[in-house]
Amino acid sequence: MEDVIETLTRGNPTEVKVILASVALSLAVYQLVLIAVGYGKLKPSFLAARPATRAHRAVGDTIAALLVVTAVMCVGWFGFEDDAALHITAAIALLTVLAIKVLVIRRWHAMGRFLPVLGISVWLLLALTWLTSAGDFLAGS
Amino acid sequence: MPEQRSHTRQLIGSLVVAVLIVAIAIAVVTAQFGPTSAAEQEAIEERRELREERLEERRELLEERREGR
Repeated sequence: MEDVIETLTRGNPTEVKVILASVALSLAVYQLVLIAVGYGKLKPSFLAARPATRAHRAVGDTIAALLVVTAVMCVGWFGFEDDAALHITAAIALLTVLAIKVLVIRRWHAMGRFLPVLGISVWLLLALTWLTSAGDFLAGS
Repeated sequence: MPEQRSHTRQLIGSLVVAVLIVAIAIAVVTAQFGPTSAAEQEAIEERRELREERLEERRELLEERREGR
């Protein structure tokens, strides 16, 4: 696994992981704007609720794929280190809540009223996961 | 129908904005790294080794010429 990661990242697994996580976080901020338009909290003249919601779904799928790739890289390269307990806990919670959110969207439609809470939780956990890893790394560099 | 077309345009516009956000995020984070990435260091090391090899070859060539005289 380590060899595959090293080859794919050309020897820069940390940097690639930081970029992927930062892209995911940037898109997550945009997701908040899109869903605010989708729920009618924001009403810009150039974007209606329906296309905003559809874009939110498409960008959300992209973020989910990015997070899975980043998590696989992180575990495959760094494993579960003791000094990264907060990062690991936040990341596991993030992936769990994200999986529940995906299930609510695709299968458990009756639980749809929890989507805003799940979405905000995903956002906060993503921010915490980023801060305890990529944020630390960028502050150091 | 015109509303549908307008929605498609808005959806495409929203996705284009997402792509721009991705590009900006990559540019900003990559700029933060500076020339310290492993790939960059490897490239610098390779260039240095190549330079040393060439110098060595030139030195050997000069010595051979001197010996030839």
